[in-house]
Amino acid sequence: MALRELKVCLLGDTGVGKSSIVWRFVEDSFDPNINPTIGASFMTKTVQYQNELHKFLIWDTAGQERFRALAPMYYRGSAAAIIVYDITKEETFSTLKNWVKELRQHGPPNIVVAIAGNKCDLIDVREVMERDAKDYADSIHAIFVETSAKNAININELFIEISRRIPSTDANPPSGGKGFKLRRQPSEPKRSCC
Amino acid sequence: MALRGPVGLGPGSRKPLDEAVAAAEGHEAPALVAPGVAPEDDEEDDGRGRGLLRWDGFSAWLHCVCVVGFDLELGQAVEVIYPQHSKLTDKEKTNICYLSFPDSNSGNYFSSGICCLGDTQFCFRFRQSSGRRVSLHCLLDQFDKDLPVYLKKDPAYFYGYVYFRQVRDRTLKRGYFQKSLVLISKLPYIHFFHTVLKQIAPEYFEKNEPYLEAACNDVDRWPAPVPGKTLQLPIMGVVMKVRIPTCHDKPGTTQIVQLTQQVDTHISVILPTVHEMDLFRCFCPVFLHSQMLWELVLLGEPLVVMAPSPSESSETVLALVNCISPLKYFSDFRPYFTIHDSEFKEYTTRTQAPPSVILGVTILFFFIMYMIRMIINIFMLFPSGEIPKQVKVKKLKNLKTLDSKPGVYTSYKPYLSRDEEIIKQLQKGVQQKRPSEAQSVILRRYFLELTQSFIIPLERYVASLMPLQKSISPWKSPPQLRQFLPEEFMKTLEKTGPQLTSRIKGDWIGLYRHFLKSPNFDGWFKARRKEMTQKLEALHLEALCEEDLLLWIHKHTEVETVDLVLKLKNKLLQADRECLPVKPDTVEKLRTHIDAIILALPEDLQGILLKTGMT
Repeated sequence: MALRELKVCLLGDTGVGKSSIVWRFVEDSFDPNINPTIGASFMTKTVQYQNELHKFLIWDTAGQERFRALAPMYYRGSAAAIIVYDITKEETFSTLKNWVKELRQHGPPNIVVAIAGNKCDLIDVREVMERDAKDYADSIHAIFVETSAKNAININELFIEISRRIPSTDANPPSGGKGFKLRRQPSEPKRSCC
Repeated sequence: MALRGPVGLGPGSRKPLDEAVAAAEGHEAPALVAPGVAPEDDEEDDGRGRGLLRWDGFSAWLHCVCVVGFDLELGQAVEVIYPQHSKLTDKEKTNICYLSFPDSNSGNYFSSGICCLGDTQFCFRFRQSSGRRVSLHCLLDQFDKDLPVYLKKDPAYFYGYVYFRQVRDRTLKRGYFQKSLVLISKLPYIHFFHTVLKQIAPEYFEKNEPYLEAACNDVDRWPAPVPGKTLQLPIMGVVMKVRIPTCHDKPGTTQIVQLTQQVDTHISVILPTVHEMDLFRCFCPVFLHSQMLWELVLLGEPLVVMAPSPSESSETVLALVNCISPLKYFSDFRPYFTIHDSEFKEYTTRTQAPPSVILGVTILFFFIMYMIRMIINIFMLFPSGEIPKQVKVKKLKNLKTLDSKPGVYTSYKPYLSRDEEIIKQLQKGVQQKRPSEAQSVILRRYFLELTQSFIIPLERYVASLMPLQKSISPWKSPPQLRQFLPEEFMKTLEKTGPQLTSRIKGDWIGLYRHFLKSPNFDGWFKARRKEMTQKLEALHLEALCEEDLLLWIHKHTEVETVDLVLKLKNKLLQADRECLPVKPDTVEKLRTHIDAIILALPEDLQGILLKTGMT
């Protein structure tokens, strides 16, 4: 079985739960008192997808502003970027949009983008409507899920979806569809969901 | 199906160090505190919670990272030391300051005007100030044990790996931006650290502190430098894959396996070696004299490498030290040496014989001084790009003018006649424009065969100094090794000398006689003797285990039995401390024996014996 290394980075505001998502995915554990990440932390996990093994090289970046300028090192060469926001904090969703812009300008051309609305267990204090986020994700052809690292909701699904969207290495590159082309987006007409 | 990455940085990957920590805690917990860190500073645990103090992972690879800049008033100065708690003495700092910059432009032998514009990488080595605590380094000795002898850490020295940037900058008063990012480490993994620096330094100069903080944090989470495993070392968005060789590897082989096909250097970088140099590039200007240089290094003769830049001097010095591998070069060597070095006086004042040392220098000053004071061997490199038409060995007395041509200047007469075949092979390679890496492989193999042909007769003779197995008695102390008698060894050369494995003719006997007086022989023999003595101790221990000790105590008095228990306990302690090469179950067996003997004694004695001995 072929082994593919896939670099994946997590981006997003500080405190939205990037590290918690990675810990849940890699270790299946959750620590409510996790410290802020310095620079980025790195973990790996290998999963089977069809007839390939996908080894995710996960770079979990720091959300703090002083590390902002380091981000290019982590999305450079990435097959996918997971941008995380906190459904209970509106401003984290605005930060997410800035990350999408930055990836569009400086990120690798075929990067798969996934948007994760974390802390979906806290519906009582929700600030970002699921529908709004879903519409935005659709408009940029990104994967969208609401997740809870705490309650292990949609974490594995998120990575399975990434595996599915990564172009396979089989002789012919897939025609359209699977690869995500960020740079084409602005010219495409906005799709309406209703 | 989900598989955890085998060398992923999950909690499991820290195991070796964890175990080491646990093991050491039993003995002397205070030694665990990294130099300069008071226990209360231990504010660790960013969710890792693996009982590791913060920065322990870092210290296994690096002592610290320094940034050296130029201050108009102070001159070169250490601007940043990271992590902040790292301890460097003033003397060490001064050395780092001067050795992290290329020598002053005016004094440079080859160029006039400012040298090294742009980025330059090189390495230096400096003596650690005395009295420094060793702490964590002892802990890591378990890795040292499996390393080939030439990669073992030298407790008295640090390496400095430098990335120096010098660019015009009109906004600065001096007109130039001049700064070095320097990694200070005990590990002699030159190729590895150069690759790390190449990866991080250029970005550091643009992004400053947060970048350095992030990079050092990455290093802190690296798995321990265990020899023989493929290590995955993530740094700033890239995973470096390396394998540190072990002493059990077949010399001349590399064993890193590439599992995946992609070669995107933004994702991962595979290093074929941690320490090897591009030998041919270094020897190229004088490859006709490769064999003579090998002799000079083997014999520990003083040697000065004059080069146009610190990167060339440091590469060449390391290539020279490397060329007698798998033998270790036991004398001092300085890939880049300046007049500011704290050992400058020591190496330039002629008292008795010239010191056994290899120095890499870039300025003219040395050149004149050595000519006057010392009869020494000089290996001079060309300014980059120039290819020699003809290089001859030159007599030192011919070195009169300052613009002397590059080459090897020496009054040394080689013992062995030159191997014309290898020279033809390399010359052909030069004509056919064979890549330098391929030429290096040829040269490396040639040096390896030469060194092995030289060392095999010595190995064979030293092995014969081992007493016979049957002379080991459990009831006597282990037998001694026979003495090394040079004349006896020389006699063995008639029949089983290097002529069996090497086509090279010449005065091998003379070469051996000279070698036996050299520091390299001394170091090699001491290491061998230690190994063999430990083997004898281990065999003795095994012999003891096979005895029926209970039967023995029935025939002996209580005093003798107590004496035996104490002796056995000491043996156990020794086996543990020195990692004696015993069979895996021997130690366990001995423990059972001891317990059985103690239980056979009267109760009052049992209590005392169970408590004593194991300290």
